[in-house]
Amino acid sequence: MNNTLLELKNISYKYKNNLILNKVNLKINSGEKIALLGKSGSGKTTLISVLNGTIKPTQGEVKLFNKSFEELDRKQKSKISTIWQDLRLIEDLSAEQNVNCGLLAENNFYFAFKNLLNMSSFKKAHKYMQLCRLHNSVYDKKIRTLSGGQKQRVAVARSLIQGSNILLADEPFNNLDPKLITTIKNLLLENVDKNNTKKSPKTALVALHRLDLLKDFDKVIGIRDGKIFFNIKINNLKKLHLEKIY
Amino acid sequence: MNKLKLNYTSLSFLPILVCIPLGYQLINNLHFGGFKLFQEFLISAFNPKIDNEIIITVINRLNETILIGFFSWLVSIIFGAIFGIISSNIFYKIFNIPNFFYSMIRFFLTIIRSIHEVVWGIVLMQIYGINFSIGIIAICIPYIAVNSKVFAEQLETIDYKRFESINQINAPKFSSLLTIVWIPIINTFKNFGLYRLECSIRSTVILGLFGIGGIGTSIFLSFQTLNFRELWTYLWSLSILIILSGLIFKKIKFNTKNKILSIFFIAVFFITILFSFSYFLYFIFNNNFENFNSVSSLFKSSSDLGLFDFLKLILETIILSLLSTGIAISLPPVVIGIFNNNTSKIFIKIFAFLLRLIPTPVILLILLTFNNPSLSLAALTLGLHNAGITSKLLFTNLESQDRGNYIAMKSLGISKKTSWLLGLFSQQAKSYLAYCAYRSDIIIRETAIVGVIGSVGLGWQLQESLSSFAWQEVTIVLIAYSSIAIIGELISGKIKNSLA
Repeated sequence: MNNTLLELKNISYKYKNNLILNKVNLKINSGEKIALLGKSGSGKTTLISVLNGTIKPTQGEVKLFNKSFEELDRKQKSKISTIWQDLRLIEDLSAEQNVNCGLLAENNFYFAFKNLLNMSSFKKAHKYMQLCRLHNSVYDKKIRTLSGGQKQRVAVARSLIQGSNILLADEPFNNLDPKLITTIKNLLLENVDKNNTKKSPKTALVALHRLDLLKDFDKVIGIRDGKIFFNIKINNLKKLHLEKIY
Repeated sequence: MNKLKLNYTSLSFLPILVCIPLGYQLINNLHFGGFKLFQEFLISAFNPKIDNEIIITVINRLNETILIGFFSWLVSIIFGAIFGIISSNIFYKIFNIPNFFYSMIRFFLTIIRSIHEVVWGIVLMQIYGINFSIGIIAICIPYIAVNSKVFAEQLETIDYKRFESINQINAPKFSSLLTIVWIPIINTFKNFGLYRLECSIRSTVILGLFGIGGIGTSIFLSFQTLNFRELWTYLWSLSILIILSGLIFKKIKFNTKNKILSIFFIAVFFITILFSFSYFLYFIFNNNFENFNSVSSLFKSSSDLGLFDFLKLILETIILSLLSTGIAISLPPVVIGIFNNNTSKIFIKIFAFLLRLIPTPVILLILLTFNNPSLSLAALTLGLHNAGITSKLLFTNLESQDRGNYIAMKSLGISKKTSWLLGLFSQQAKSYLAYCAYRSDIIIRETAIVGVIGSVGLGWQLQESLSSFAWQEVTIVLIAYSSIAIIGELISGKIKNSLA
């Protein structure tokens, strides 16, 4: 049975005459947890942006649920959630309002309106913020007043509340202490509902730099100069592979 | 010989050279017939008329002014925000609308904006006759376009990554739009919206001079009857209104967490939209269009305006704008630089306040008491009024600036004036010039007001053409006036960007 969720076919992306991605082919199957390795500027963020449809590739085809992006409806597109490296939270809104933004896709305009006026329910948002170990004193604080670690966890909570099938995360463990890294890693890699009940594993592609976190992933992809150098099971990863990309 | 080097500081002072030809013509046009009147006008400032009758009139006229000003402001700020959203690139990105429509709506708003509210007012008055609603509509039309420009500019500074992030959640498009624009819209309203109420009140006063009602009409009538004591009662009461409104706005703080206040604002928002639409429809279907029976009259009317006369009027308008801008830019730094002590500063501030307070047509009429009508006099009037505004900005910026350099220079034995110039003003010159570039846009539009009174440029021709119902001429003058304003806006925009 074909259980491919996301597929990149011969993807290239050029920006101002620089080839950022060069003929990338990739398949992400349902339930796979993939680590994306590569040094800064290797094309990790661009790859994630192509996968979530933010960037249109110069060449090649992106398929989600075996359909091209143009063929997908809004609900299907919302099955992908992203944690950006620079978080991209709305600085002047409170932490709970930002987390509630993750619910915009499954709600109507009236919900968005109430959220901005602080009139919507924040119960669900608070549950996910609790899971991310955010203290309730920060719930109604504006993002611009939070520390780097707190902002990071708000971004994680916003992504989790979306309840998506596929998670794309660009260095989501930045600004976190070792204890929090373990908590957030478990949250991202194992699907949890609002009662903190573990569900079937989530499909995830996570860009990271810390090699000690690799053991929790099924596969590892190495990228350098916009090209995928290896795409192997975690058990097959050798020092040689890492030397090729770093 | 050393070459003159142009920098921001010298560029701020150089335009004062316009005073040479201006002064020459003004001295030639001087007459002494009205000096006594002018003297009487000045003395009356310290002896305004105060009795029961005038106090009641002042209260009634101020009520009318506040009513017209407030409603114009409310409608123009709400529709300005809506048009600001639909004329910003964010809207077109979210809804995937071709850029052609973006350019179209921007062009349309630029044309609307280019025509001053006084011009809208006198054109609409000619069509519909004098009534209360004309004041509100005349202010609302250009103000909606001006406000929409400011809102759109703020929305276009939204970080593109934030837009991508919300867009990637794939929420309904209106939800994404609202979430992205909400904070910039609220912040623009806080920083800019309240100031626009003061502008709206000033515009109501100016339109009042042309008969729309409110305190402006009373100011004009008391000037016509040379009742200067009464005139100053109106002017001082207007100044109290402006000062009070400024103080109240400083105290207002918006708490977006207050749910009752939020519901109140939303209710005001929707009621204003509903009311505006219903009133607009009522207005359209309940007017006789007495002087403008059909669109065909536009084409039936003939124009006696020769090409040469027309070009002369355009040239006059451009020269008027340039001379006024020169005064508005250079007069404040020259005067503050020369009279650089605390007592003088107080007098300069009071004088600048009066220049802002007294409507330009009234300043012009006062100056006409001892000078013949001319382009120079109109330029001086417009320049002085705008110098009052630019000097307020310059004072505010200089007072909030770190005085370290100034003190250090003075301690080296450098004179107070040179220390002020190099230690204080030179650091403000760039931002001051950028603001003056923006101000020059407004000056071009305001040429119509002084033109009508001072027999100069397109403003005067517009008034003449309207009086003789020469609609074809009116159209030509409006197109020319609008074109000058748009070209001026493009040039000042380029200058502003190069200074940013």
